[in-house]
Amino acid sequence: MSENSTPTTPRCEYTYAFLIIRLWLGLRAVLAGLEKFESKGSYSFVGYYENMKRMATGITGASFLPLWSTKLFAASIGYILITLGIALLVGFKTRCTLLFMGLTYVALSFGLMAVQESDGVAWLGMHVALVAGGLVLVQHNRYALSRG
Amino acid sequence: MSDSFLSPVTRRDFLSTSAKLGAFIAAAPYIARGAEVVAKSDQLNVALIGCGEQGRILTNAALKIPGIRFKAVVDIWGYNRTYAERLLKKFGHDPKPYEDYRQMLAEITDLDAVIIATPDFKHAEHTVAALKAGKHVYCEKLMSNTVEGARSMVLAARETKKLLQIGHQRRSNPRYRHAKDRIHLEGRLLGRITNIAGQWHRAVTDDFGFPNGQGIPEAKLNQYGFANMHEFRNWRWFKRYAGGPMSDLGAHQIDVYNWMLGSNPTMCIASGGVDYYKTHEWYDNAIAIFEFPTKEGTVRATYEVLTTTSAGGGYHEYFMGDEGALKISENPKYTKLYREARAPDWDKWVAQGIVASPTSGEGAPPAVKPWEKVGVKKLGGPAKASTVDVRETAALSAWDIPVTLDKAIHQPHLENFFDAIRLGTPLNCTGESAFATAVTILKINESIAAGKKLTFAPTDFVA
Repeated sequence: MSENSTPTTPRCEYTYAFLIIRLWLGLRAVLAGLEKFESKGSYSFVGYYENMKRMATGITGASFLPLWSTKLFAASIGYILITLGIALLVGFKTRCTLLFMGLTYVALSFGLMAVQESDGVAWLGMHVALVAGGLVLVQHNRYALSRG
Repeated sequence: MSDSFLSPVTRRDFLSTSAKLGAFIAAAPYIARGAEVVAKSDQLNVALIGCGEQGRILTNAALKIPGIRFKAVVDIWGYNRTYAERLLKKFGHDPKPYEDYRQMLAEITDLDAVIIATPDFKHAEHTVAALKAGKHVYCEKLMSNTVEGARSMVLAARETKKLLQIGHQRRSNPRYRHAKDRIHLEGRLLGRITNIAGQWHRAVTDDFGFPNGQGIPEAKLNQYGFANMHEFRNWRWFKRYAGGPMSDLGAHQIDVYNWMLGSNPTMCIASGGVDYYKTHEWYDNAIAIFEFPTKEGTVRATYEVLTTTSAGGGYHEYFMGDEGALKISENPKYTKLYREARAPDWDKWVAQGIVASPTSGEGAPPAVKPWEKVGVKKLGGPAKASTVDVRETAALSAWDIPVTLDKAIHQPHLENFFDAIRLGTPLNCTGESAFATAVTILKINESIAAGKKLTFAPTDFVA
């Protein structure tokens, strides 16, 4: 009896499926990050810190989370989202990027869970599901700056 | 021997200190009241004639005004009289109760003013008597249930040179005054007012009864002009005593029409009927149309009073112009200002404090949670399917009046009356001015009875 194994060829549908997820998550993260710099129609660092201060004090005021933690998170989230989004779009260290993106969305969800904002949690839950799906399909990653 | 604070207290010291302390405790309420610091010269002595529902409302409002001392209360019904007496005594007044106002006017000689809250058919008699006795008068609306009665009040005020304020209290309401003086006259935010729509919708209410054993003998009621206890308690519904719901409710709002426009109507046509209640003489629903001449052109106005339903938005006066509209009510929840899409922006009026962006209710932005970014744009406009008719114009934008009234609604009008006595401040609703309203209201009833359009001559409004 022959034990020859037939080598499997990657199906292009999986490649395109992952590509679509990668682009969607990448664009979503970049724009979500940029939006945090917008205030009254213009983009600036001043606007960013005003928006993030409001977010931090709002979450702390409505939950058990201490102000130092929400401020720390809020101060960095815009930059984190933009960085991860660009990395995902260009395909740089995609597995790691997806992992950190997923952790970022979990952290954001935690803040909304703390203030019982169910709609926001569900919305971010969809993002987490897409990241998880991406991690399952990441082996089919093509058209990327780096492998892995 | 050295002094020590622990040295024993003598019996004399103890009695002396206790007596002083007791005197202080007994005087404390008077000291506290005296802290109002009302100069004796500012104190006004007042009597109340008519201690029923409206009398109580006015009393409660007047009690919040410093320097008003109630010296007498008058009512033909002992039940009402005792209630008023007890209410005032709780606040430190000592009013003498009377059944007959003539006796009161003869005996209480140091009165400055009289507040009259009796049924409309008695307003002329009580007002003229009080004016001729040398007292200033605040008389509830409607001025009188007849034009002749209203005229006699104006003439008596002129003759005696005493002040006569009629209880159209919206004229002193700071929200209404802001609407007239700043929104309409100064800012011209409504543009040219072309139409007014006013209404008072009220649900079915039972007739008033009276506590067991508290009825007035019919002979005495007859003596004072009432047929029986049912009519005495429900006088507003009977033609002998009052002018019906247009007078009872509509008078306030139609007065605002006249006041806001600075004009009196040239015509009215009205319809009404006793369609529902079985125990009333006056119609329970009535609708009237008026024409008002103004410098900018005719203003066509409607007013409806419905006493069998509260559907359709309560009570308000709605002034509609070509650039904006003002829906205003004594109840702030029925008040809103609107800008037509074609009108210039109102940002400068917001900056000047004439209008305010709404923070709640219609026109208010959706609530933003504390952690959410302010001013997040929501994309999309009305769906194509939501445009029902291509002839629809752009929606109005809603705004608020940035003035609130944090007092009882009659208090500013009473304050204006008392200030006029003390300081010579102009009255916000003189007898002459209210006479025009009375003529307007009473013509509505004539039109309903005649079943046709009636006209006014300018001289009709002059007493």
